[in-house]
Amino acid sequence: MAGLVNTFGAGAMTNSIGEIRDADFLLVIGSNTSEAHPIIAMEMKRAVRRGATLVVADPRAIWMTSIAEKHLQLKPGTDVWLLNAMAHVIIEEDLIDHKFIAGQTENFDAVKQTVADYTPEQAEQITGVPADVIRWTARRYASTAKAGIYYVLGITEHSHGTDNVYALSNLVLMTGHLGKPSSGLNPLRGQNNVQGANDAGASPVFYPGYQRVDDPAARAKYEKSWGVSLSPTPGLNLNQMMKTTGNKIKAFYVMGEDILLSEPNVLHLERALNNIEFLVIQEPFLNETSRFADVIFPAAIYAEKDGVFINSERRVQRVRKAVQPPGEALADWEILVQFANRCGADWNFPGPAEIYNEMVKDVPRFAGISHERIEQTQHVPGLSGIQWPCPGANHPGTKYLHADGVLRGKGLFQAVQYRPSMELPDTDYGLILSTGRTLYHYNSATQTRREQGLSTKQSEAYIEIHPRDAQKRSIAHGDRVQVKTRRGSVHVRAFYSRQVRSGCIWMPFHFKEARANILTNDVGDSITGTAEYKVCAAEVTKLETGKKDTLLFPGAYFVER
Amino acid sequence: MKLARNQLTLNGKTVSFTDGETILTLANRMGVHIPTLCHDPRLDPVGACRMCLVEVTGFNRLVPACTQKATPGMEVITENARITRHRQTLLALYMTDHPQDRNAVEKGAPNQLLDLAEQYQAPLNWGRMLPIRSARDDDRNPYILFNADLCISCARCVRYCAEVERVSAITLANRGASTTVATADNASLLDTSCEMCGGCIDVCPTGAMTEKMPLTRNHKPERELRKVRTTCNYCGVGCQIDLNVDDIANDGRGMVVKITSPPPGTTVNDGNLCVKGRFAYDFIHHPDRLTQPLVCNENGELQPTTWDDALEKAVNGLQAVAKRYGADALGFVSSSRCTVEENYLMQKLARAVFHTNNVHQCAAT
Repeated sequence: MAGLVNTFGAGAMTNSIGEIRDADFLLVIGSNTSEAHPIIAMEMKRAVRRGATLVVADPRAIWMTSIAEKHLQLKPGTDVWLLNAMAHVIIEEDLIDHKFIAGQTENFDAVKQTVADYTPEQAEQITGVPADVIRWTARRYASTAKAGIYYVLGITEHSHGTDNVYALSNLVLMTGHLGKPSSGLNPLRGQNNVQGANDAGASPVFYPGYQRVDDPAARAKYEKSWGVSLSPTPGLNLNQMMKTTGNKIKAFYVMGEDILLSEPNVLHLERALNNIEFLVIQEPFLNETSRFADVIFPAAIYAEKDGVFINSERRVQRVRKAVQPPGEALADWEILVQFANRCGADWNFPGPAEIYNEMVKDVPRFAGISHERIEQTQHVPGLSGIQWPCPGANHPGTKYLHADGVLRGKGLFQAVQYRPSMELPDTDYGLILSTGRTLYHYNSATQTRREQGLSTKQSEAYIEIHPRDAQKRSIAHGDRVQVKTRRGSVHVRAFYSRQVRSGCIWMPFHFKEARANILTNDVGDSITGTAEYKVCAAEVTKLETGKKDTLLFPGAYFVER
Repeated sequence: MKLARNQLTLNGKTVSFTDGETILTLANRMGVHIPTLCHDPRLDPVGACRMCLVEVTGFNRLVPACTQKATPGMEVITENARITRHRQTLLALYMTDHPQDRNAVEKGAPNQLLDLAEQYQAPLNWGRMLPIRSARDDDRNPYILFNADLCISCARCVRYCAEVERVSAITLANRGASTTVATADNASLLDTSCEMCGGCIDVCPTGAMTEKMPLTRNHKPERELRKVRTTCNYCGVGCQIDLNVDDIANDGRGMVVKITSPPPGTTVNDGNLCVKGRFAYDFIHHPDRLTQPLVCNENGELQPTTWDDALEKAVNGLQAVAKRYGADALGFVSSSRCTVEENYLMQKLARAVFHTNNVHQCAAT
């Protein structure tokens, strides 16, 4: 997010989901697309069926690799090496877009100098991806006109996550794959309204629409709009808040997140939550965090309220109320209005449309979008919803960004050096643990584990382990094992899987009885604070022999029987 | 009349087509309706159902509009007595082994074959054949039911599974009137490569592939439900979904009894959904939902209370901390699961009411 704002001037998918089907080359990196974004995966499958080349860079042999031309099975956390080596090849073989670099970018020489040291041969040593495959990928990417890059949290959930995004931006800028259909750099958002929450200013450094809180002009604008004086100091990001819980932070108001399941190194956070003085929670269900709450507000869910979500491709779409919330539960916006007014504010919003209108008044890039206009798009041919930027009521919205020049003015090259992940395997903890989402569950699974059917398919926590690593530890397929890191341990089933590299294990984070985030490292990216969920050192030991007959495993066809 | 290189006549009207366009796509674009059963814009055309046959001057036989490419100067007729007679005959044949009682047939999704038979007044007295397609009644998968008696072997489900979802979990098996939709070894879908996207349900024209849960729970048929278009609340793709609501259920509060996808080509998801988006809706009306505000009493137990009391305690609690340690001792955690409007209010609460910029949410990467 911050990475893309810095290099391109807007933190969102540059292109649209509907353009994927027309791409000729797709680089999918750090995205288990068919499980985490199945609908985008369908678009990619469609492109491949049409004849497009798909390259998947991922430490695991995920489903998408089965239709990919090449699978770059890099070691977790070595993305910068891989990407810089690709840049090395593109520059060395003069596949760069000279005109684009000269006209629309700055700081190219810094990158040129840096990547000179990143030869594909050395990259092979570090990433495990053969040098000729790196060369092939770089050539195909640079020389295909409609070439798009798609990434998710496998890129960002590292202590060097922003570096990874910079390295990707460099590739896009040097090849000029920007401001054109079916190309660009496309982060796929993991939650329904990640884009919208960021756009709306739920950020310690940005007001709505990415206007910085330490920019005096932006602050003056909001002081006038809201009629109050505002703090000029940027706030703490979530990672900083969690780490200073009990010390700096003495009270929380948490809306719609189970921090004790979702945040890294949760045992530390759990101890810290004992030391805070007040905790307000606003949720549809009790969760792990609610054990520490002083007050819990019952909240309505999406089917019970109105408003908008903004999707990965910047499309503003309606959420419509279909049923009444249970009991006395209220929509989150209603609770927030009542809460603010009790604090002495004078908020007067008849409904979400009026809240939306107040927000866009100060944000030019949303100014042309309103609840009414989205309503109208339902009744005309074409897709419903409107994509920002959309500065005026007659503006059609923007399918892909940077068409009339990079939004930042000039695309900024950012030279990045490889930094190893913060915690790597050693003699005590010999494996790399990565965590992630599966097709059948969603985040803290408060919703999906209340669905019988999904649990039929996937009912318990597990790790994927390479048979070679398992046999070294006398672990059989299906055994119960203990997974341990420097921060804690959990008990899960072990499944043999050739999806993971030897030396790596993988675990979903959905299960509260075996919280993956007891294990994860809470070291954060230096810019965004995003934690290193994807790499930490772990060890696995056998607890008891498992029953073989009850196994249900989505990737079972990868398993050696 | 002289036509340009990319023009033809459709029901006597001159229209322009694009290279490679089929008669069916062209007609749809021009607002001319041609009935189909086996066609779906997401799938390669196969011309199997013969419903879309039209008349083209120069061809002795009727031609399928879905596979026939438009060519210059073609004269296409989509409705006349010959075409109607063909459609009546075809529908009558389809109906010989298809159940005719609408109430029995449409317990779940609407049935397009019955609609067409009615529309074209197809004769229903051509004798009855017993449907002899085999089903997989013991399939223990939780979501997808195959009602073989309603199947017309159009293979939309099979082709969707192979072409769009690309898992090829289901296949056509057997021949002739026994042709059915099967899995390898007739295994349960749970034990195949099926990813439970439910696309087979979405594309099925007759409801042969249908959703299990609303049937086993005896919910009203889809025709009697109100559809509310909204945005799915799982990942960031922003699929549009239709909540199918029974307004009377749940003591008049309304109940979401199933989720369906909008027609292809109208929304970002192109009519597709995944297992979570289509089937994981039970949490909406789950008994675990919080229905009252709760506050923590002296013994550390959560007790139900009134909104008035909960709001007062919460406000006092946060204000006391702000007073003692300063506003920057407060942390506001907003949510990428809530609406844009709610996130706006949360950050405004932190900034304008409590004067701190300590506001964030879990997904700012």
